[in-house]
Amino acid sequence: MPATTKTSSQLVLDGILNENPIFRLALSMCPAVGISTTIMNGLLLGVAVLFVQVFSSCTIAAVKNFIHPRIRIPTYTLTIATWVTVIDLVLAAYVPGAYKQMGIFVKLIVAFAIITMRLETFACRNAVSPSFWDALGMGLGFMFGMVSIGFVRELLGQGTLLGFDVLGCQPLLFFALPAAGFFCVGIMMAIFNYVELVYNRRKAKNR
Amino acid sequence: MKEILRITIKLTITCLVAAFVMGSVFAFTYNAKKHNEHLNERQTMLGLIGYGRHNDAPSDLKLHTIYRYIIEDRGRLFLGYLVPVRKEREESHELLLVTVEGEFVKRLEAPIDPESAIEAAARDKVLKRLLEAPKTFSYSDSTIIATVGSGRSAYLLPGRFPGFKTFIKVMLALDPAFNIVGLEIMEHEEDPGLGAEITKEYFKNQFVGKPFERLKTLGVVKEPLPDEFRKALEREKWTGASISPEDVDRINKKYRDHDIYALTGATISSKSVTTGVGNMVKKFSYRVQALDRVITAQKVPVTF
Repeated sequence: MPATTKTSSQLVLDGILNENPIFRLALSMCPAVGISTTIMNGLLLGVAVLFVQVFSSCTIAAVKNFIHPRIRIPTYTLTIATWVTVIDLVLAAYVPGAYKQMGIFVKLIVAFAIITMRLETFACRNAVSPSFWDALGMGLGFMFGMVSIGFVRELLGQGTLLGFDVLGCQPLLFFALPAAGFFCVGIMMAIFNYVELVYNRRKAKNR
Repeated sequence: MKEILRITIKLTITCLVAAFVMGSVFAFTYNAKKHNEHLNERQTMLGLIGYGRHNDAPSDLKLHTIYRYIIEDRGRLFLGYLVPVRKEREESHELLLVTVEGEFVKRLEAPIDPESAIEAAARDKVLKRLLEAPKTFSYSDSTIIATVGSGRSAYLLPGRFPGFKTFIKVMLALDPAFNIVGLEIMEHEEDPGLGAEITKEYFKNQFVGKPFERLKTLGVVKEPLPDEFRKALEREKWTGASISPEDVDRINKKYRDHDIYALTGATISSKSVTTGVGNMVKKFSYRVQALDRVITAQKVPVTF
């Protein structure tokens, strides 16, 4: 894959819609299924992933010429682990309130597929600035995915939104359990695919 | 061969850089993190003895920590209490050696201020100097005594006991007469939805107000939790809406001497917490009374 020719806004938009990590690339499904039980959880994990993705992508893009091609993956893993540790330590030290809720999620990010995948397919072939925009788009896309699944599951599973009671009736416990994450992701994927189908058909008709 | 060398060198450099970055961030943030943890713990303690968002702690409230050590000297066991003392306006510590039966043995000066005594490593250093070989010592637990003015207002006991699966770590608050003032579950690994309910207000608040004498025989009953008691236990959630503070007091008094209502489907977890808490209080009251006798007899200038 040669260096990208897309503009920065295109890269960001691609990350959110066309190449949305959860709904289109189907990467990092574990957190999408396991942690997206509430909007807040989704948002916090999304923010943490956004930071790690941006920092790791920029680092790899900056030093890509020094990385021996045979040991790319260990180098990526080390880079991600380093940034995760740094963010973890800084959060624990300076924003203890947020860390109390985010702490367990932040450490999980080391093993997220989406970050390694973006380093492998994008950051190691592009300059720092497009890598930054790509990482930003991917991070925002992930956050968008997590929040939207969280929205559905919190509303149906607990009858609340951001902790406020909105559903007057007994919620469905099923939606709070991990298995329901798969259903939500599946349905969202279907919606994404359908929208794309309609969009392409319209485009073809207009031509 | 050349390739092997190149890969080795590059990977080593990467690791070194990563180690350097992580190490320096750690060193940079270590103190702030420690400070936060300390604050957090203090907040939990204050919350347990009734100070929180709604009522601030009085300015003369002070927390004093006693560290208990098990000391072994040629096959004989002693207890070592590291207690904070006041020496010419400066706060330091003394190590009181006591036999297991509570008889006084020796008192030793331990020059360490309360701030640094929080660190286990700093305490160990001082103790190592005081207790020469062949004496060995190991940390057992600590107790926090809260004072307001010159009188004791509460005891805070961090402790742990076996639960259904692994250990349950709790923090218990007692008033000077050893009645329970508050219980907080700090760490546990009970089953979600069953044993994990021990962290819920309707379970842990059942312990609040239990008198010392009642704790000796406290058990659990497999009966449904009465609705009014549940509302009184979850007072944060109900106060103002359907239950008045006077009602809460009345209901709490009514159930004060009642056994603990077991959690549905988690009788073992309920029992372990009940017996664990009971044992903690029993052991503590025995120890602290023995320690107080030593302190008064020896005229140790303790800060609490």
